[in-house]
Amino acid sequence: MGTTASQLGKDMLSEYQELTFLTKQEILLAHKRFTELLTKDEKDLPNTRVSEERILTLPELKSNPFRKRICHVFSTSEYKDGSLTFEDFLDLLSAFSDSATLEIKSHYAFRIFDFDDDGTLDCGDLEKLVNCLTGETDDTRLTTEEMRQLISNILEESDIDKDGTVNLSEFQHVISRSPDFVSSFKIVL
Amino acid sequence: MASEPQSPGLREVYDYTEGNGYPGDQQSLRLRRVSSRVSNQNHPQFDCSSTSTPEEEDEEGDSGPPRDIRATALPMAVKRAVRQVQQMQVPVVSRRESWKRKNTKTLRKLKESGRGVLSFFSLWSKTLQKIGGNFGGGVQSFFLFLRFLVVLNFVSFLLIAGFVLIPSIVFRSVEASVVNSTGPEECMDYEPNPQGLVLFYNYFLDLLSGTGFMEYSYLFYGYYNNTMVEDSKFSYNIPLAYLFTAVFYFIFCLICIIARMGTAARVVVATGGSTVGEYSMIVFTSWDYGCLGDGATKLKQKNIHYRLQVDLEEESIKKRAAALSMAQKVVLYFLRVFMCLVSFGLIIAAFYGIFAATEFSQLKSEQKGILGLFFEYLPSIAITAGNFVVPLLCDQIALVERYAPSTTVIVALLRSVFLRLVSLGVLLFTLWRQITCDGATNSEECKLCQYNHKVYPCWETRVGQEMYKLTLFDLLINIAVLVLVEFPRRMVVDNWSNKLAQWVGRQEFVVAANVLALVYGQTVVWTGALFCPLLPLINTIKFILLFYFKKITLFYNCRPALKTFRSSTSTFFFLVVLLFGWGLATVVMIYSLAQIRPSMGCGPFRFFSSMWSIVPMSFYNLSHTTQEFLFFIGSQSFSIPLFALSCVVMCYFIALASVYGKSVALLRRQLKLEGRDKQFLVKQIESLSQRHQILRHTAGAHN
Repeated sequence: MGTTASQLGKDMLSEYQELTFLTKQEILLAHKRFTELLTKDEKDLPNTRVSEERILTLPELKSNPFRKRICHVFSTSEYKDGSLTFEDFLDLLSAFSDSATLEIKSHYAFRIFDFDDDGTLDCGDLEKLVNCLTGETDDTRLTTEEMRQLISNILEESDIDKDGTVNLSEFQHVISRSPDFVSSFKIVL
Repeated sequence: MASEPQSPGLREVYDYTEGNGYPGDQQSLRLRRVSSRVSNQNHPQFDCSSTSTPEEEDEEGDSGPPRDIRATALPMAVKRAVRQVQQMQVPVVSRRESWKRKNTKTLRKLKESGRGVLSFFSLWSKTLQKIGGNFGGGVQSFFLFLRFLVVLNFVSFLLIAGFVLIPSIVFRSVEASVVNSTGPEECMDYEPNPQGLVLFYNYFLDLLSGTGFMEYSYLFYGYYNNTMVEDSKFSYNIPLAYLFTAVFYFIFCLICIIARMGTAARVVVATGGSTVGEYSMIVFTSWDYGCLGDGATKLKQKNIHYRLQVDLEEESIKKRAAALSMAQKVVLYFLRVFMCLVSFGLIIAAFYGIFAATEFSQLKSEQKGILGLFFEYLPSIAITAGNFVVPLLCDQIALVERYAPSTTVIVALLRSVFLRLVSLGVLLFTLWRQITCDGATNSEECKLCQYNHKVYPCWETRVGQEMYKLTLFDLLINIAVLVLVEFPRRMVVDNWSNKLAQWVGRQEFVVAANVLALVYGQTVVWTGALFCPLLPLINTIKFILLFYFKKITLFYNCRPALKTFRSSTSTFFFLVVLLFGWGLATVVMIYSLAQIRPSMGCGPFRFFSSMWSIVPMSFYNLSHTTQEFLFFIGSQSFSIPLFALSCVVMCYFIALASVYGKSVALLRRQLKLEGRDKQFLVKQIESLSQRHQILRHTAGAHN
């Protein structure tokens, strides 16, 4: 079961509407943009998997510093190469949509920030996260002293059980206090 | 919930929406039964998103599957499989259950299609998205605030048009007046129409100052008559409608502002008001995934970098300030007090300048021509000059005071707000002095009509004209600054690679100053709405033009500010400042309604002793039962129980808020204890396994 060619069947459409937070127009637009990424022969195959580089040519993702992590998190491929099918793409858009709940957004945000995929955010993850946020070039990074102080401040504020890492519950606890998170964790095509 | 399969990765997820409560079935090893029971009862709902699902709490068990399925963080294929399993498991439901479920489903579809239609009507949403992506949340919040004011003004205009303007137009020819009394002849002498031949350029001057052909028109109070139409099945009392529309307009604006403040305040109350701490918040939540393009991304990264640096620096400043010696502290405080006095002195000097300008303008009100126009606009010029110069000086003062950066911004803003609103107050005060002869209604000029009828035959129109001039002048100044300052500045900086030009740099879009300008403009409109009913319409057009001008200058002339406002707190702050303006306008309105005698030569209240007195008069025309009912509502036997009830309701909400805060603290403590439990268990396991291994070794050694 999958999508073929440039047609999206009515029953598939309603199924996607039930399984994601997207509206009908959003799903159709997503389908249109996804098929633009496919080559001619790929368009006839069902359930094509698009490689990461092609996904990253989308303007909404192209300059996002977390683009590789986003593709990695939503990818269902066995090779963990960040390639996405159309359904993975819909999952991505659903988590980043207007009507997605805070829980699902915070869950996926946690997984995106977890660079080593071990289920917690430790110092290495936090350091990589801050570097993504401030920019990777040398003049935009924080100094080592500032980074050390920042990470210790973060752990002091959000690590409640004092195990040196931020787990999902602690992360969601921080997120729930931020009124801006839901509106900024949004990608609209 | 037992029928729902859960993948192992989800077990640690806090499922707030499913109403599971804290996993109270898992007892802590240290037997915290009491606290877990409490947390089960006081389960908070952290519904920050607008799509919170209260309907989920009504659906028990496995009803409402689509919403639950969507909210699970699983890939699509797994979700599909789960849904299929659920559908096969659907038990026999009563007809009522399935009917209810179908209803909720159609209701949800209706809501979604309604939301789609509404988003079609939402004004400028694409533009706002573009602005937010390129310049950040702070600038976007300014434009959102501007959009809110446009809509507010437009709806108020519709209100006024419907209840005052259109009936006035329709019943223009009807001569029936409410009260037929006469007064002294001199008081009723009002000739707004210019006599004789009018020079052409006078039309232009009249357009700018609201005099001449514009004075006796629907624009100003003086044109409305005190007609009351009395038909067999229909009666319309225009003066009463005018009064009630003005009062309701103010109440309506207040409700809109408070409703908008409510969404921001709700989050603070629900989370108990305590702040988690800024660093984790910045790092985890500040990235805007809607940023498009390399430029916007780099800008956002720079913003975040700057914010983090500023916060870290502020922390080190605070540590250093706490480590100051006694002598240094004394010197610093003395400096601060001195600078405060200096800034007060500056503000008072500005007031005096405006006051003198207004007096001078009133003195020279007989001048004609361009010079006359200049003198008329003198108060506005003085106010604008003050508003430019004094904040600049206050910024320099703030540098000396050496507060922490965030405190500096707030202090500077408060000073500017104070300056802006009270400078308007000074203008109004001067006008009042002139109209009522310094409040002494027994003095020479005011004895006859209770107001200065020689200089102000129709004083309401005159006040309306002043507000009209202020509004227009504000718009013209904005356009002039745009054309004469901002565009040339950008051209100079871009094309002339001089050291000086680079140091000046491109314009920065300062959000705070622009917001204050909006608040000032809106306050002027509120003050003048009673006397110039079409002012909300003029203001709507002015704000729409301002939106486009500011957008143009933002995209072409400005470089983005490095120091950003946080969008949610800044919206709340803008609305608080707007409320100050509303308060000032309300004071003016109440005073004009109750204390000053309306002009006898013009307007719908011409034969009343005060504007408010029409209400008691019309009251006695109502039917007897209505009078009894209204008397009862105003009496003590109704209002005291009502007051007591509202106190009880307020206490309930305050108690609820504090309970939420307490349960947050409780849950945090539980989390800490859980962590320690985990470590305790791990140590136990280690020691047990060690003992087990030692036993095995010794047993093996025996054998």
